[in-house]
Amino acid sequence: MPAKAAATAEVTPEATTVPAAVPSRSYIWDKLHSLSGIVPIGAFLAEHFWSNSYALVSIDRYNQASYDLQTIPWRVPVEALLIWLPILYHGFYGVYIWSKGESNLSRYGYGANWMYALQRWTGLIAFVFIGWHVYVERFMTQGRSTYFDVATTMANPLYLSFYVIGILAVSFHFGNGLWQFANKWGLVVGRDAQRKAAWITGAIGVLFAVVGLLIIFGFVFQWRPFQFYAQ
Amino acid sequence: MNPTRVILIGGGLAGLMAAIRVAELGHAVDLFSVVPVRRSHSVCAQGGINAAKNLKGEGDSTWQHFDDTVYGGDFLQNQPLVKGMCEAAPGIIDLLDRMGVTFNRTPEGLLDFRRFGGTLYHRTAFAGATTGQQLLYALDEQVRRFEAEGKIRKLEGWMFVSAVLDDAGVCRGVTAVSLRSGEVRAFPADAIIVATGGIGSIFRQSTNSVACTGSAQSALFQQGVNYANAEMIQVHPTAIPGEDKCRLISESVRGEGGRVWVPKTPGDTRDPRAIPDAERFYFLEEWYPKYGNLVPRDVATRAIHKVVFEEGLGIDGKAMVYLDVTHLPREMLTRKLGGVLEIYEKFVGLDPRDHPMKVFPAQHYTMGGVWVDNENQATNVPGIYAAGECEYQYHGANRLGANSLLSCIYGGMLAGPAAVRYAQNLAKGSDTVSSDVYERERKRQEDIYEKLRGQEGSENPITIWKEMGETMTQHVTVIRYNKDLEAADAKLAELQERYKRINLADRARWGNQSLHFTRELGNMLVLARLITQCAALRNESRGAHYKPDFPERDDENWLRTTRAEYDNGSFKIHLDPVDTSLITPRKRSYKS
Amino acid sequence: MAEGKTIVVKIKRQASPTEPARWEEFSVRWRPNMNVIACLIDIAENPVTRYGKPTTPVSYEANCLEEVCGACAVVINGRSRQACSALVDHLDQPIRIEPMSSFPIVRDLVVDRSKMFEDAKRLRCWVPIDGTYDIGPGPRIAPERQQVAYALSRCIFCGNCLEVCPKVNEHSDFVGAALINQVRLFNMHPTGAMHAHERLQAVRGIGGIQECDNAQNCVKACPKGIPLTESNNDVNRQALLDAIFGWMFR
Repeated sequence: MPAKAAATAEVTPEATTVPAAVPSRSYIWDKLHSLSGIVPIGAFLAEHFWSNSYALVSIDRYNQASYDLQTIPWRVPVEALLIWLPILYHGFYGVYIWSKGESNLSRYGYGANWMYALQRWTGLIAFVFIGWHVYVERFMTQGRSTYFDVATTMANPLYLSFYVIGILAVSFHFGNGLWQFANKWGLVVGRDAQRKAAWITGAIGVLFAVVGLLIIFGFVFQWRPFQFYAQ
Repeated sequence: MNPTRVILIGGGLAGLMAAIRVAELGHAVDLFSVVPVRRSHSVCAQGGINAAKNLKGEGDSTWQHFDDTVYGGDFLQNQPLVKGMCEAAPGIIDLLDRMGVTFNRTPEGLLDFRRFGGTLYHRTAFAGATTGQQLLYALDEQVRRFEAEGKIRKLEGWMFVSAVLDDAGVCRGVTAVSLRSGEVRAFPADAIIVATGGIGSIFRQSTNSVACTGSAQSALFQQGVNYANAEMIQVHPTAIPGEDKCRLISESVRGEGGRVWVPKTPGDTRDPRAIPDAERFYFLEEWYPKYGNLVPRDVATRAIHKVVFEEGLGIDGKAMVYLDVTHLPREMLTRKLGGVLEIYEKFVGLDPRDHPMKVFPAQHYTMGGVWVDNENQATNVPGIYAAGECEYQYHGANRLGANSLLSCIYGGMLAGPAAVRYAQNLAKGSDTVSSDVYERERKRQEDIYEKLRGQEGSENPITIWKEMGETMTQHVTVIRYNKDLEAADAKLAELQERYKRINLADRARWGNQSLHFTRELGNMLVLARLITQCAALRNESRGAHYKPDFPERDDENWLRTTRAEYDNGSFKIHLDPVDTSLITPRKRSYKS
Repeated sequence: MAEGKTIVVKIKRQASPTEPARWEEFSVRWRPNMNVIACLIDIAENPVTRYGKPTTPVSYEANCLEEVCGACAVVINGRSRQACSALVDHLDQPIRIEPMSSFPIVRDLVVDRSKMFEDAKRLRCWVPIDGTYDIGPGPRIAPERQQVAYALSRCIFCGNCLEVCPKVNEHSDFVGAALINQVRLFNMHPTGAMHAHERLQAVRGIGGIQECDNAQNCVKACPKGIPLTESNNDVNRQALLDAIFGWMFR
């Protein structure tokens, strides 16, 4: 049957040499992107959920914890280097990566492809949410945010739902990002190892989502399950 | 050393090996292939490659390998080069091993070997059940390396059209057509090597790939290159019958313990697994107790024909027999035969580990091909060399399994340096040839294309192709009668007439596949007639060539190579003596 | 099944890269065990659309027809796969056939996949040997290792893994899973491993392994069942170690 390949490029006049590819900077930028999601951003996220969990103890303890953080030495440079810069980098570079992909879920609706698509969208949501969150709780309060400030924001149903969506997006993005990290840094290779890593990182993502929602719950319903610690 | 340029036509095992050899000697190579070379038909070879390395303590030797090959080929080969091939085989395996071919290993980390048809030794190195693929990839990668170093230029998607011959009849290059743009161009070279493989497309439903049309061989034949033993066509005993092609189930399946059988009761409709051993007819084991399921292909094919057509024992009364591996351990099957069993699973939909496979013979290989001398792979036209399945040298009247990959590589290894030696000794290189010589041939070929594109008529190329395939498969394969062969030749002549009235539905130049195919079809018809006429001529039975009216081998009259010369539409067939200086012909029988 | 049954095939056609694409519908006579290639041969023999309009035979690539050459990859009913192993009886009708979209189109179903072979050059996908003369056997290899390498080396360069990858498109130069798998294969071979550094540098080049975002469609689309994601992660580890210790200790 007449079905030959109309293959490859037109003829070059002579044989031509092809050098090996050389490492590109984008490799380092990409690796920094995935690393920055874990350290410092992921680490800060854990710390942030931890200190906000004081809301589940008492208003005083919450304000005390906030005050302790707001009065660390070298506060602004530390914030800039460990939080703002990494988040800005991770966010903007993430958008760049996002722009290089084309989701094809409608054709290939496999599990991991869903996770890839969700990672893109939750990343975008998280970036907007974090920007808004920092603006409202850090800059609007001149860096002196208290329990009262947060509780006021949450009283608005619109802002509250944004918080819920934001927390879920961030938790998913972090949990799935950990799995991505395990793959991208070659920490897991075999299919079983990949699957186990998915369970573990998935559990971490769920843990963050649950803790985050409980904190919101605490703010909205004045629910303080650990209040007896402070008594 | 004067730098010379060698053109390689065909990017299968033989072509790639020759290209590597030429590049290694420091000369320019233009490698033409209709498909990207990694997609060449060599990938379909499944079972393995023979080399008497004697790693199993059986006392195997290269002489034994040589003897098996010549005996298997029914003594029709010129023996010295066959001996050379068998002696080079262990070194070839080592070379492939060094290139990174993923050959199966023994627990000691050495190469593993399996048994194949026509021998009693474990002599076949293998990489799963896709050995041809693995070998081709290894060579493809080496060629890619030379390409990246600027030593080989690949012209993939360019199809060979004709050789450019100067006024003295010396080959000075080729013309080729771009399958993409339709442009015809001439390419100068000091020597060309043809390695265009098989001719399966002439039989339509064969085990060959789409690209195996034999068009290049036929074009060269029509330009004065001789063609030898055209009638020697191998039919493989076990393939899955199919509409678009017959898919091969490798001999290695029997080499690893697969058994061929039919139910003893004609028309037994029971599930094969429900038929007890006592009611199964293991006809190969019964008829050939020494070799059993591993008799050579021609013998197995005729046995299957006999059991189906003479004894009426085909499965459900149809032309099929069982090839059974269900009694073998699953893990071993997957490890050693995974690739083959996967083909059955994908294309039939049943797992052969649980269900006996239904198979039937199909055209598989041509032992005959372009005539070459017996030291240099050189054809009778100065400057044209040939290697691989497209030439006739190594397999006589029947090829043994796992010898084809070997002959391709060995032929390529010889042809490359031979072509360079020839080019080095040329008094005048192709750079001294007038450009008129190239332009004349280019124009001639372009005119043929243009005529075909504009031609009015009522015939369809696919219809002609199908009728040719049917005729050839029916009359010119397993069992041949002179009156049928005459009828077949008349039919082919009729098709040649109809060919002149082909009307192409597609008249574009860009990517017009039916145009190129039609060009090839014209060449196929010539080769089909040559095969048929040579078969009619040879009044004996030898190897794959079997005539019930002449059931015995006739060394007195027919220990001869049929060497055909093209003479303006008809064929002059010479009968050349065969060089049997090393092993005296003896009766061939696999019964005991 | 009843005789005279027909199959409807819709094919996306394009006469050349500069001309617009269009769909044509054909009706083909059903036979047992038919594959998509058999339909295309039928259409070539009788190039008339379902509505009786004469047209041209469909251009397509095919060679071995047993899923080992890699030529006939197309998108069938929205899924990228080999046409030879696409059996008509297992497909929903009408059967929609399109060319792969990740590669430049040539004509109809034919696309230009030379990018993959060019990338194989840039990534040094071979075992560099000293020469083809007979200098004795290659290195010994444990059977377990051979089994792993064999699975990787069955790649047919069909391009399905690139076609289904959300990171292979006009915005990105990603080399794709097949090529990364090749890097792993050649780094596994004892001789190939001597030159692993060069490959690991190359795989960090533009469009290199960093582009992979683990959508993992590749491994689902691979007709040869190659563990592409494992190869990817393995090469990720090797490339990273090479990148870190490359500049620290060199």
